[in-house]
Amino acid sequence: MKGRLDFQVVPALATLLVAAYALYSSLYWPLRTALFPRAIAIPLFLLALIETVLCLIGSEKVREGHAVDFELTTDVDPLIAQRRTLAIGTWIVGFFGMILLAGFPLAVPIFVFAYLKLAGREGWLLTTVLTATSWLFMEGLFNRLLHIPFAEGWIFSLFGAT
Amino acid sequence: MLEALIGGLLAVLQWKAFSFMLIGVAVGFWVGLLPGIGGLTSLALMLPFIYDMTPVEAFAFLLGMHSVTATTGDITSILFGVPGEGSAAATVLDGHAMAKKGEAGRALGAALMSSLLGAIIGALALALSIPIMRPLVLTFGAPEMFMLAILGIAFISSLSGQGGRAAMRGFIAGLLGLFLALVGLDPQAAIERFTFGQLYLWDGVALVPLIVGLFAFPEIIDLAVRGTSIAGELPPGKLSAGVWEGVKDTFRYFWLTVRCSLAGTIIGFIPGLGGSVAQWIAYGHAAQSARDADERSRFGTGDVRGVLGPGAANNSKEGGSLIPTVAFGIPGSAAMAILLGAFLIQGLRPGLDMLDKNLTLTFSMVWTMVIANIITVAISLLFLNQLAKLTLVRGSILIPFILFLAFIGAYTEHNHAGDLITLLSSGLIGYLMVRCGWPRAPLVLGFVLGNIAETSFYISTTRYGFSWLSRPAVVVLGAAILMVILQPLIATFRKRIRMREAAT
Repeated sequence: MKGRLDFQVVPALATLLVAAYALYSSLYWPLRTALFPRAIAIPLFLLALIETVLCLIGSEKVREGHAVDFELTTDVDPLIAQRRTLAIGTWIVGFFGMILLAGFPLAVPIFVFAYLKLAGREGWLLTTVLTATSWLFMEGLFNRLLHIPFAEGWIFSLFGAT
Repeated sequence: MLEALIGGLLAVLQWKAFSFMLIGVAVGFWVGLLPGIGGLTSLALMLPFIYDMTPVEAFAFLLGMHSVTATTGDITSILFGVPGEGSAAATVLDGHAMAKKGEAGRALGAALMSSLLGAIIGALALALSIPIMRPLVLTFGAPEMFMLAILGIAFISSLSGQGGRAAMRGFIAGLLGLFLALVGLDPQAAIERFTFGQLYLWDGVALVPLIVGLFAFPEIIDLAVRGTSIAGELPPGKLSAGVWEGVKDTFRYFWLTVRCSLAGTIIGFIPGLGGSVAQWIAYGHAAQSARDADERSRFGTGDVRGVLGPGAANNSKEGGSLIPTVAFGIPGSAAMAILLGAFLIQGLRPGLDMLDKNLTLTFSMVWTMVIANIITVAISLLFLNQLAKLTLVRGSILIPFILFLAFIGAYTEHNHAGDLITLLSSGLIGYLMVRCGWPRAPLVLGFVLGNIAETSFYISTTRYGFSWLSRPAVVVLGAAILMVILQPLIATFRKRIRMREAAT
């Protein structure tokens, strides 16, 4: 519980910094532009400050700030959960990097194949079928039907330039 | 009015709109069934697909999808004791207990039929509210619209958690949403605000990547952490026996179902309360309807009335929450806040236009909710046994496809790498918020209402100076905002006093 409560200071502190930055920036604007941002940033700063102080002094002995929202699972061992969170985080960032490097049309099937095979440890047949499905979906719906202008991957731009 | 009502029906029945609605129903059907993916997430994921659609097609697609997730969410609640949707949790109590007693079919029949009845009553409430709302909206000027926007955010913020501390986090999230809406060029003087010199941010933070990231990423991460099939490792059973008995139960307890539907509609109408509250109030009312203590003790052990109440309220609340969304631009729930994003994408302004110029579109929403639910219930009744198998799809198979949809959905907003960075950033914010128990709905609402709030605020101060603060409707709304903000603090204070008294 202690670790969880300590971690809660992160969004509070981040919000505090954002509000402070908003107030500072508004000093350089004419009143008409700055009025509404100040009306938002002042209460945001004060509330975030209270929340940060409450988090730091650890006033929340039990977790009373329960949101009516989706909740993360607590059934998995925290160490395993942390490892899996890091793993999926890496996959997400990796997918983003792959999109930038190779472009959407190539990155999607590569990512689906790699995830199913390496993270999901699925069989070859299922992996191949699902990869082909993702490619068809990508090419058929988004490229041919909806004509979304996908940017070329950096790798191809580089080769094109040379 | 009658012309618009018929026009709305004909618009939904046009082949293209109807096809989009069927696609939406199909998506919502699966989403509701699978506990790993929420209705909110899917609504956010599907938002980018509406760019090329007409308004009728877009809302047939989105509302068709959204209005059936609660219906099919009940199926998973009953079968596995795992709510397919957050708003289907109350159905677990008696529905799953009935399933364990071998009455799964009866429970499912009751849940599906009461859901249909609830959806029809909710849609009827929306249709009937239009003539009442129109003159009311006409009396509202910029100052009142500003106060309404703030009231909406205050409502969702204060009700998005239990206790004063949770309410405070709700307010912070709401203000953070308003702050994010400030990013870009100032609409009055075209001065850059929080753009860091990036041309991409001149138009503001992109709506779709923000919503997709906030809602999809935490659920994807959780699915990966669980590492199981989507419904855990529970085996499906034979379901179809007793379905018609459950259908008959709905009519056996007809007035109870109607009362719970009306309760759901009213709760849906109040911004911020939503499905999670509606189901429990309906469940409480169903339990209260027991004649004596002995009958009441059967609730929780498999009483069909415990399924009928939440089932009806879950669906009727959708019609109710559409009323303030359409009439005032104040979303009745988090899902409606996302739907409000669809209004912006389609270039529509909620309010008088929706009750006058676009009345046919508003009625098409009513018809979509009714038709989508009829189709869903019919399909569910036909394919109950096969449906159960869907919940055994492995998370590892779903994750790459959800991620693919999330990234491509975000990218379609501006076809710019900035959309993907916004997606990743908002995903991180969403995960942090969920992990630390901060509600995400107020942030979305603040973001969506930010522009309306600022414009109304600007018009009010330019036109009336600060005298707009003394307008009667503004004073009433201001008092309501104060009450909404102070209520959780007072409740916490009272609770502490009571606890202190009990201790001494």
